Amino acid sequence: MDWQGQKVAEQLMQLMLVIFAVVAFIAGYVLGSFQTMMLVYTAGVVLTSLITVPNWPFFNRNPMKWLDPNEAEKHPKPQPANSGPKKKTSSKN
Amino acid sequence: MHSFGYRANALLTFAITILALMCAIASVSDNFNSPSPTSQVQVLNINWFQKKPDGDDEVSLTLNISANLESLFTWNTKQVFVFLAAEYETPKNMLNQVSLWDGIIPSKEHAKFWIHTTNKYRFIDQGSNLRGKDFNLTLHWHVMPKTGKMFSDKIVMSGYRLPQLYR
Repeated sequence: MDWQGQKVAEQLMQLMLVIFAVVAFIAGYVLGSFQTMMLVYTAGVVLTSLITVPNWPFFNRNPMKWLDPNEAEKHPKPQPANSGPKKKTSSKN
Repeated sequence: MHSFGYRANALLTFAITILALMCAIASVSDNFNSPSPTSQVQVLNINWFQKKPDGDDEVSLTLNISANLESLFTWNTKQVFVFLAAEYETPKNMLNQVSLWDGIIPSKEHAKFWIHTTNKYRFIDQGSNLRGKDFNLTLHWHVMPKTGKMFSDKIVMSGYRLPQLYR
């Protein structure tokens, strides 16, 4: 999941749970049934987890841009002063 | 939110926090219900009335208890415990309460009831004070909600009197 996907997943999760909670409470109160509230909310939690927990392709639309390999070669990692490879090359030649 | 486990954890924690909030609001919503229960008890017969060998008075009654407790039930009510107590005053104690009958009402459908019974629990005074005694029959109830705190109330029915003589 990319950065944008993580943000969307979190916001979607919070929004969906709050909406389902409000709907479940109103449904339970109007119908006078505590069980209805619990069922609606449980269904909401299951649906929300199916949507926001797995790593769907939907969350990977903004892949991170890494530096090109070429660009990395132009700015090599600084080497320690007495490094192995130098000695090896000198002894071979 | 970078991994499956992290997202599952965040969702579950948030979901249960909201559930606790919903339950709290549900128990607050009980306060908007203003119940108007009614009750009537008739003492149909004094079956017997005697002094036990140890000196305490005991009386056996046949009762006709009818009550309509439907208005106590809200969407957040699990059950109602109801009991009928005889209450009277003696020289020694301001208030004596003797439970005569009780019951559990599991749902609104059973909340309007009528029962013809002798006293389920023995009506014994700690002493010999029952002859000619005026007493109240009080219907107490405890409402047990699905979430939130239990609350109770009562209806006092007065004007009952035990006979002057043992029988």
